[in-house]
Amino acid sequence: MITVENEPWQTMVRHAESTFPKECCGVMLGVDGVVKSVVPLPNVYDGAQEDFFVMDPKDLQRVDEDARRAGQSVVGVFHSHPECDAYFSKRDLANSCPWFSYLILSIKKGKFDHANSYRADYDQTRADKEELVY
Amino acid sequence: MAKILIPTALRQFAENKDSVEVSGTTVGEALTGLTTQFPELRRHLYNDEGKMRSFVNVYLADEDIRYLSKDATPLKDGDTISIVPSIAGGRA
Repeated sequence: MITVENEPWQTMVRHAESTFPKECCGVMLGVDGVVKSVVPLPNVYDGAQEDFFVMDPKDLQRVDEDARRAGQSVVGVFHSHPECDAYFSKRDLANSCPWFSYLILSIKKGKFDHANSYRADYDQTRADKEELVY
Repeated sequence: MAKILIPTALRQFAENKDSVEVSGTTVGEALTGLTTQFPELRRHLYNDEGKMRSFVNVYLADEDIRYLSKDATPLKDGDTISIVPSIAGGRA
């Protein structure tokens, strides 16, 4: 189960809508499965960003350092699926990291539609939906 | 001694330490020292065959060790090693 407080939730939705029709990405920080803040990050994929995102590891490293100093942890990552439902795609699974929750926001016609959160396994063969509260 | 920064997501498997000082002449030896000291970390970093999981990146200072000498990358006193996952995906 993952719970997202209101302010980080609004930040994620705004980021996902403002980057539409491209995919956005970012990191969720918190404690014990509760997201207290989020850090939107640039999608550095050098191809069509409408259906793929890549997070720069250097960005993630910097955010992790900041979280450490703030007494928080990286509890998850988020990205958007423009004009698409918030399912865990084959490409999501093939690139997944089981350390984190993966929150996916469905953005349709530029506006938030729905969201789901998943946890992938260590072999990148399956991902289970987890309860998402926001 | 080199310092390995523990990702916040994995600190719970390293007695909540932010970083761990390890000895070793290579990055591979340092990582072995880390997982010997904290065995619970091992499955998060390596698969059952002992290979580093595909989503795990290891940096020596700012350099990805894949572009250095991988596990054989030499270490010197005071070096810092970071463990950073790859994050990507998409709707397709």
